[in-house]
Amino acid sequence: MRRMPVNEPMIRISDVWKEYNHDGTDMPALRGTHVEIWTGDIVALFGKSGSGKSTLFNLIAGLDRPTRGRIEVGGQDLESLGEKGRTTLRRVRLGFIFQFFNLLPTLTAFENVFLSLELADKADPKVARATLGEVGLEGKEHRYPHELSGGEQQRVAIARAIVKRPSIILADEPTGNLDTATGNQILDLLTTRCRDAGTTLIMATHTPLTCGYANRILRMVDGIIVEETSCGELAH
Amino acid sequence: MKIVTKSFLRYLPRRLSLSLLQLLGVACGVAAVVGMTLSAKTALTSFSNAVEFLRGKATHSLQRPAGPMEEVLLAKLSRDPSVDWSSPVIDRRLRLGHGELVRILGIDPFLDRTIRPEILRVRFPKMNETDPQRVLSYLLDEKAVLIDDDLAALLGLKAETTFETNKGVLRVVGTFPNPSGEPLILMDIANAQRIFGLQGSIDRVDLILSEEVGFRERWKDGFVIQSSQQKSATFSSMLDAFRLNLEALSLLALFVGVFLIYNTAMFAVVSRRRDTGILRSLGARRYELMVAFLTEILILGVTGGALGGVLGYFLTRFLTELIGSSISNLYFFLRPATTEWSAWILVTGIILGFGASLIGGAIPLAEMVRSDPIKTLSGRVASRGDPRKAKKTALAGCVILGASSILFLLPDAHIYVAFAGVFGFLVGVSLLTGIVLLYLSPGLKWALYAIGKLPGRVAAGNIRQNLGRTSVAVAAFMVALSMSIGLGAMIGSFRHSLIWWMDTQLQGDLYVGKIDEAEVPEAFYDEVRRIPGLGGVHPYRNVQILYRDTPIYISAVDASVLQRYTRFGWVRGGNENWEPVKQGGIIISESFSRRFGVRSGDTLLLESIHGPTPLKVSAIFYDYTTEHGLVMMDRSTFLQTFGDRTINNVGIFIDPGNPRRDELLAEVKKRAHERGLPVQTQEQLRASILEVFDATFAVTRSMRALAIIVAFFGIAGALLTLFMERRKEFGIYRALGFSTSQVAQMTLFEGLGMGLISFLLSAGVGTAVALLLIKVINLRSFNWTIFYYPALEPYFLSAVTALLASIGAAGYPILKVCKTYPQMQIREE
Repeated sequence: MRRMPVNEPMIRISDVWKEYNHDGTDMPALRGTHVEIWTGDIVALFGKSGSGKSTLFNLIAGLDRPTRGRIEVGGQDLESLGEKGRTTLRRVRLGFIFQFFNLLPTLTAFENVFLSLELADKADPKVARATLGEVGLEGKEHRYPHELSGGEQQRVAIARAIVKRPSIILADEPTGNLDTATGNQILDLLTTRCRDAGTTLIMATHTPLTCGYANRILRMVDGIIVEETSCGELAH
Repeated sequence: MKIVTKSFLRYLPRRLSLSLLQLLGVACGVAAVVGMTLSAKTALTSFSNAVEFLRGKATHSLQRPAGPMEEVLLAKLSRDPSVDWSSPVIDRRLRLGHGELVRILGIDPFLDRTIRPEILRVRFPKMNETDPQRVLSYLLDEKAVLIDDDLAALLGLKAETTFETNKGVLRVVGTFPNPSGEPLILMDIANAQRIFGLQGSIDRVDLILSEEVGFRERWKDGFVIQSSQQKSATFSSMLDAFRLNLEALSLLALFVGVFLIYNTAMFAVVSRRRDTGILRSLGARRYELMVAFLTEILILGVTGGALGGVLGYFLTRFLTELIGSSISNLYFFLRPATTEWSAWILVTGIILGFGASLIGGAIPLAEMVRSDPIKTLSGRVASRGDPRKAKKTALAGCVILGASSILFLLPDAHIYVAFAGVFGFLVGVSLLTGIVLLYLSPGLKWALYAIGKLPGRVAAGNIRQNLGRTSVAVAAFMVALSMSIGLGAMIGSFRHSLIWWMDTQLQGDLYVGKIDEAEVPEAFYDEVRRIPGLGGVHPYRNVQILYRDTPIYISAVDASVLQRYTRFGWVRGGNENWEPVKQGGIIISESFSRRFGVRSGDTLLLESIHGPTPLKVSAIFYDYTTEHGLVMMDRSTFLQTFGDRTINNVGIFIDPGNPRRDELLAEVKKRAHERGLPVQTQEQLRASILEVFDATFAVTRSMRALAIIVAFFGIAGALLTLFMERRKEFGIYRALGFSTSQVAQMTLFEGLGMGLISFLLSAGVGTAVALLLIKVINLRSFNWTIFYYPALEPYFLSAVTALLASIGAAGYPILKVCKTYPQMQIREE
């Protein structure tokens, strides 16, 4: 992938529409969305359930394709990359964190993290172990997901996302399945690691808890993104 | 190993019970194919070895078209310029004291030593060169015989011991090695002529020819000359139809096994959907997932195949005996050698399991490759009970059914085409299972609710909702039950047809003599005919000849007697068909007519003692004695054509209502016993025929059982799969207040529901299969018509099987429910 010029956004979404056909009727999830996200941004993307946050994430990750519009990641049009290119994007430049952790149940914590490195052709067990240590899971490398608490599982998911030093991390409701205290720990860990590495982080969320960790706040309303300045406005 | 692959394979030990079930299903399917193929090969190889061994170095054989030939011809033969060596042979059967039927060869040891040097490596006891009397006892003692080492061991005989036969007591003077599969006794030819009443006659002459064309030219009239290759081919062709049907049976079991693999593979795809979505979102490529998936499927296939190879070897031991006994009953006796273990058996099993995995896993693999990671991650997967998918599958099924129908309608197509049609039919109806389940779902709900109330209704809903899993298991079980019904109905119809045939032909009150065992002296026939009061005395001769280089059978009968006392099963007309037979015409069996395309009114050219002799066909009759074809003629025509006075069997007919019936029959029996001739009543003859029939289908019955076992694993696997996939739902049931016993009942009703649907479908499909087997397969394999006799027994048996198998299959999942349900909670992971 080509090197990013500093004056170009990491992610540019231009007039993107995504429509789903349900029983013959087109239902738009995104309606002409525009947004630019810069390198190093820590973005909190608010929106109610069904507002289109996950749809947007899937489009950015190249898992889905827009009905119309253009998405550029790292200066490259995703459409022109093709399926192979989009897969490579996810392997090398993108990390994904899910609400329900989505760890592979048959792999240990170490193997879940090492998987990420293996896919990115950076297979180095030491790096995987070190990253698990960074997220506070030293000594638990050989445990399976069902042997870990929710918070520990999400730490593994974070380790899996950050181990390959991606340019972008997409976190879809990273604390949605955690209690407040654990959620705060996770957000703190995630945002600190991203800031330190200069990784662009977008967190989809519906809790104002995330506000304090972001330097940009976006709100998704009926498929359109609106920039907000503070968490207070989210209450309205 | 790549982590992606590891993540898939770790499911195998995690879901050990399911993995084992799936493994066993594959193993059973492979075992059936390996067992059947190996045992058929062993039996047929044993037969080939026997033919080879007996042939020795002979290049040709010379015999009359039917019956023995004159001994005086030997002198002329020995002077023929093409003959390097000749050896006269008497080739008969002997029944031993404990019942076994054994081949006995009467040979001249001096003439035969060049033809069969292997046989004459005889071990005489206490070989004493100064006592030529002992060495010559084989020639001089008219009761002296040599027996093969294996037969001697079996009977506990050694030299100088005696044993009982239907030709009296015989004395063993030595033994010889016999690597073939056929028990063998040797006797000096002169002594053999004496005990079989063949003075002045021999059965054939085995020859070593230096030149064939001239010899055939000189001996073409009145003789049948066969080269060794022709003889082997003739024997092989006798088993063609039998072999083909064995192969088809074994493929059936593998077919059901492929279903299981498909079920396994589909379950793997479905249960890995979420994992697949996660991996795709992390950047795994499609081919990496394919490799992981295929590795898992192939491990099951290869391991199951290896296990199946081993099981198949043990199954061979059981099946070889059955097949050998069937061949012995129907064609010629055979003692198949025990199959030796070889690494190739394992390799074959592995290849079969591997191949079946690829076939069974192809569609699930395609589905996995096409799956949308977004939907799988969000949980919005294609509904497990998606009607659209069921409709599409049903459409494909209809196309296949249409194509199969065309195969059946092709006239004169090879039997393989017909088998392909049957398999296509089964595949086609299997693909319709989903849509049928959808339509039957309301009825099933009603039925299960009536039996089991709320758990029953929920179970019916679960079957409908998890169509992807349940339809495959139901299809596999349906196929197995359908084959059970189809084969059962076909065998039952065949049996009825056979009984009907016996009603038409076997109307005698008594039968003296047994074909292939004891001939009836003509003097006895003349003697019995003079007993006053007997209605009819029927001399019967049955002999194999060659027609267009193909073995067929000729029967010589007394047309007047049969016309009076029997009601033959004529294809057209009635007993007036005997009139032309009395004037020198012939009648042919239906299988002969179909096989050679000969119709009533045609003229057959048969090789007689005078050369090719034209004989007019006056009628066709139904017959099940031989699939190779039967030509029947009056005894006078037979004597004129073949000059063979042999009588295999004499039938005694008493007029109905004759007050002296018992007295007359007793008189005939007494005279028969005086001559040492076996006697059977009509009932005994019929019973022995049915015994042979039932033994012949023992192999078919064992294959039916195996197919049911394989399908049982399918149902068990499906139930376990449903249990594992729906743990979250079980958490909800518990939260709602369902008790453990209610959830256990639900699992039971899911099994029963699937069993019930499988049986209902199999009733229709099985009937169709029966009709296909009767009207198409049997007709094209054996060229005879079997009349369809609807009977309840196959359906009743299948219903009981379906019920027991469903309950049995639900056993282990219910145990799992009882063990784990009390701890279940609603969890996302």
